[in-house]
Amino acid sequence: METQTTQGLARVKEICQDRPRRAMELRDQGKKVMGYLCIYPVVEIMTALDLVPYRIFGDMRETVTKADKYLPSVVCPFLRSLLDLGLKGKYDFLDGVTFAHTCDVGAQFAGNWKINIRTPFSHFVDIPHTTHEGARDYHKGLLMDYKKAMESYFGITISSERLKKAIEMHNQQRSLVRDLYDLKKPDPPLISGAETLQVLVAIMSLPVEEGNTLLMAVIEEVKDRKDGPVKKSSRLLVWGSIIDDPALLEMIESFDANVVMDDTCVGSRAFFTDVALTEDPLDGLADHYLVDIKCPRTYQESAHGEMKIDYMADLRNRFDYLGDYVRDYKVDGVILQALRYCDAHGYEVPGIKDYLESLGLQSIYIEHNYTEAAFGPLRTRVQGFLEIID
Amino acid sequence: MSTEEKKRSINRLKSMYPLRALMDKNYKAAQDAKKEGKPVAWCMQESYASPFLNAIDLDSVYPENYGTLCAATGAATPFLERSEAEGFPSHLCGYAQNCLGYTAQMADLDWEIPPGSPQGGIPKPVILVGSGMGCDARFKWFQALGRYMDVPLWVIEFPTAFGKENLMEGAHERSIQFLIKELKGFAAFLEKLTGRKMDWAKLREDVDNTMSMDAVWWEINELRVARPGPMHSRDFWSSMSASLFRTTDPEGVTELYRSMLEEVKHRVKNKISAINVEEKYRMTFIGLPPWHALKFFDQLAERGWNFVTEWAYHPPRPIDLTGIEDPVERLVRYRHQGTGHLIDVSFSPEEAAKIKKEMGQQDSMSQLVLKPILDFKIDGGFLHPLLTCRTATASLNLLGESMIKKFHVPFISIEGDIVDTRLFDPVDALRKAEAFEETMDHYKEIRKEAGLEW
Ligand code: SF4
Ligand code: SF4
Repeated sequence: METQTTQGLARVKEICQDRPRRAMELRDQGKKVMGYLCIYPVVEIMTALDLVPYRIFGDMRETVTKADKYLPSVVCPFLRSLLDLGLKGKYDFLDGVTFAHTCDVGAQFAGNWKINIRTPFSHFVDIPHTTHEGARDYHKGLLMDYKKAMESYFGITISSERLKKAIEMHNQQRSLVRDLYDLKKPDPPLISGAETLQVLVAIMSLPVEEGNTLLMAVIEEVKDRKDGPVKKSSRLLVWGSIIDDPALLEMIESFDANVVMDDTCVGSRAFFTDVALTEDPLDGLADHYLVDIKCPRTYQESAHGEMKIDYMADLRNRFDYLGDYVRDYKVDGVILQALRYCDAHGYEVPGIKDYLESLGLQSIYIEHNYTEAAFGPLRTRVQGFLEIID
Repeated sequence: MSTEEKKRSINRLKSMYPLRALMDKNYKAAQDAKKEGKPVAWCMQESYASPFLNAIDLDSVYPENYGTLCAATGAATPFLERSEAEGFPSHLCGYAQNCLGYTAQMADLDWEIPPGSPQGGIPKPVILVGSGMGCDARFKWFQALGRYMDVPLWVIEFPTAFGKENLMEGAHERSIQFLIKELKGFAAFLEKLTGRKMDWAKLREDVDNTMSMDAVWWEINELRVARPGPMHSRDFWSSMSASLFRTTDPEGVTELYRSMLEEVKHRVKNKISAINVEEKYRMTFIGLPPWHALKFFDQLAERGWNFVTEWAYHPPRPIDLTGIEDPVERLVRYRHQGTGHLIDVSFSPEEAAKIKKEMGQQDSMSQLVLKPILDFKIDGGFLHPLLTCRTATASLNLLGESMIKKFHVPFISIEGDIVDTRLFDPVDALRKAEAFEETMDHYKEIRKEAGLEW
């Protein structure tokens, strides 16, 4: 029995305060919980097996003490935190965990987790780096293997119908998230950046139907709310590597700015395109996860086989979706943020800045090490930036 | 033996010198070709691009290697500063930062080589060939160069070939077929770009020559299990580039490797050590070496540390490819051998079956990865975490910990970097190394108690 007494945003807060609680309740009722890293493991396959997809996050408020032994301090601090929590037994309730080749260190992290945490089931999905046709086929084969490994471990065969149904449910979730983001279009937005992040963290801790019900309740509540964010001078877009804690966005929104849009991997990145319902559902899934998701970990080429690179055309091809966000959400400044030692995002910075500049938009790049203490010095920089764009 | 040689703590292989000289000559030849305006490609050290580039008459230039050179000659600083000024974060790969800064400067100079560039610099390429192998830098960095150059980029994929997933039925073969398709696509692109036809016979010849050359190089390294270790890592590092980078004279290199093989065989037979004092500690080097501070290993040799093996830059295992005629397929099957095959050829059938079963149930640090510890009877691991290369750093500690856990072999970790040479502090490193000897002695006792052979 679900012990839910709250609804909407209050329920979101409750889940975020103790994320594993609901998963453990469901586990007590006989459900299995599948942890996953990043947005590349195919949640639809988990749902089709009636598993609870549970995205694994770090905890920037907890000092890394155990992971030092395995992951040196010069690698992604988010991954270090995750491993640390795993080593401290905080993910012992998972029945399985799915990794993907998100970035090189993410791939190496998978080995670290498998060996040291020993979650009963684990699977690593390799992801090609290009979107060449061969890469798409190859990716589909990798998803077939993943499905096979899951079916064999959990003793259930996933029919095509069942997988299609799961895709529909997750597409519904994507659509609801977009509805939620629509509520950020007015000025002032009806929901803040920090609150939006919490909603997404919450639904990434729940089975898809339950997440969808929660999203509907949140949308209804937010539509009519009177206590939403106040109008401020700047409407910002935040881009970059993972943010799984509202502290950074709260810091930004403590100034004269609202975060009205994001392109981060707990934010819009996983939700702004649907999975196509193809005859073989794995085709749609393979294309979605490899091609549609616009994460810097994939090499998005300007035009395959071009003999000359037109830099601006290349930037437009890669980042025009950001231009759409800027227009639709009336963004007037962009904060580019990345975790220190995140190579995938780091290489993009000058290019994105050039692209935004071509739209007449100012941006700032900030780096942090996944601790709250790191935000102190950043406050001054963010404040300075807001003064410039004001 | 001259007094000069007697003084040296590392007993360098005589056959290494002509090999190194030949490689220098090759480097010079490539420089001359560039001066004559022959088009070049910038590519990554990943073994797929160069044979194709050669078969269409494009010279391969390796900016990673050029980064090493810039760092070693002290020329990297202005390039690194420029990269940072362009807005690239300073934690990115040191070689990438060096190349980004270098290219930005070249763009300012209308594609003239920046003055003071070591070895005459590297000219603007006609194509960039990125790689999905190893690290994200290998394609992200080249894509970022689009900010300065209108040069096309082709990224060669490289499926991840480790772990239990690679043992699933059909998984490895699928990755082979994918790579073949990728490389054929690359060849078609090169033909379109240059307006020339691929010389498939030349590719085949190149692949076969490389395989024969590597086979000798492989055999040399196999002999290093002997006690005392006959060949030090310093000789390995001086000789490996012949196999790692395309050479214009593969037959010449093979010949020189053959004489090296003879010299190493002679040493093994006569129990001649790679160090001129008693071999007290058999070491493995894990990570990328501190190129600018290799003399440090001479000091360790004086203390009886013999670096008998290392974990990077080794050639693929020789493999029988009889019946595979297509040069692309030959190349792929040679370079991408897969976990299952490597387990099969490294262990007895019973052991192999057991290892695969264990891996399937619970992916463990496979015996395959740790096999050299056992084969070489290693006393200690020397880990070299790097500030700006996460690929060669992220799994070091895990390896170290697994060595202790499985075989009671301890490790020492000494920080450094690939371009910021100041990060490696030889004085401090030597102090730590001295203290580490006690740890190694202690673990020798533990191994004895655990019934291990060494
Ligand atoms: S933040 Fe960057 S380095 Fe860390 S897991 Fe994500 S992509 Fe990889
Ligand atoms: S492996 Fe390391 S040194 Fe080589 S390109 Fe990648 S990040 Fe740079």
